[in-house]
Amino acid sequence: MNEDENTQELSFGDYLPSIGIVGVIFSLVSFVIGLFFGYQQINAEPTGSIMSPMMFSGIVICLVSALAGLLAVWHFTREVTPFMTLGQGALIGFLTGAVIVLVSVVLNELWILLIDPEYTTKIMDATIANIETMEMPEESKQQMIDAMADSMGEGQTIWRQIFWGVPVTGLLNLLSGLIGVKIFGEKKEETF
Amino acid sequence: MENVKSYWLIFAGLTIMLILSLGGGLWGAEQSIGHWTGKLFEKVCHQDPLRSFKFNTVPMAVNSRCFGIFSGLWVGWLIIPFFIHLTFKKVWINWILLFAVMLQIIDYMGNHLMWENNNTSRAVLGLLLGIAVSVFLSDLFQIKIKKGES
Repeated sequence: MNEDENTQELSFGDYLPSIGIVGVIFSLVSFVIGLFFGYQQINAEPTGSIMSPMMFSGIVICLVSALAGLLAVWHFTREVTPFMTLGQGALIGFLTGAVIVLVSVVLNELWILLIDPEYTTKIMDATIANIETMEMPEESKQQMIDAMADSMGEGQTIWRQIFWGVPVTGLLNLLSGLIGVKIFGEKKEETF
Repeated sequence: MENVKSYWLIFAGLTIMLILSLGGGLWGAEQSIGHWTGKLFEKVCHQDPLRSFKFNTVPMAVNSRCFGIFSGLWVGWLIIPFFIHLTFKKVWINWILLFAVMLQIIDYMGNHLMWENNNTSRAVLGLLLGIAVSVFLSDLFQIKIKKGES
């Protein structure tokens, strides 16, 4: 990479491959992990354990998707330019988080639409069965069940899921994007 | 301090995230899961009410470790302007971040094998991780010293 390439103005198209490739890969990974643990939950006997497969899936997906910003910045430094500013890293991180939410919501909806229309109902039934066998006061159980039914209920349209999902996932990936800038980015040589 | 505008923008984002993570209790709701505050965090936290602190008797929108991480990020971000004025070599901030990450892994594994963690211990460990991340990023806001200047 020559010096001219390092100093030239970057367009949005320069960021897009890193955001798109890493975002899509991470949303696929999150989607597959979610499905894997989802069907484990559906097929498992209710144990009453707090650490159900779905709970475990939530932790893994969160950890995996929070690293996407960092990897998108790494990809950008390899493919476009190693010289990065904080703002560029923040932008790449936030948009990568947004792509993850967008694509994983669409993949989930497609799965339900084309492959397994009963998926949400089966997950809800399995989770409720697990909560019912937990050792806790009846009132708390009912609260958990009601809350979960609200959360997974019919009101969750694609747009709502994207609207609620992007801000926090985006912000966390923005931070991991900044970590990427610090680890992989280089500052331009300055002559004084 | 460099990148002042970005600093304040991210600080505002972290402040909003921390306040909203308090969950439905802040808005008079009976629960956080299913409430709009809960929906905001459902993609990043497993939101187990039994592993969450309560705010106004309602479990928060995130569990205790996530709340610790968000609090730590906020506290760490707040101290960045003071931290960057420290002149001693800051190689150790990389090690602190690594140590904080290792602590989460050790605590998570140990919880299954040897000990039982609780909301407080999870929040304290999360707090350490959050502070470590913010402090790790502090270099990005430090003004470069010109050659020849002390």
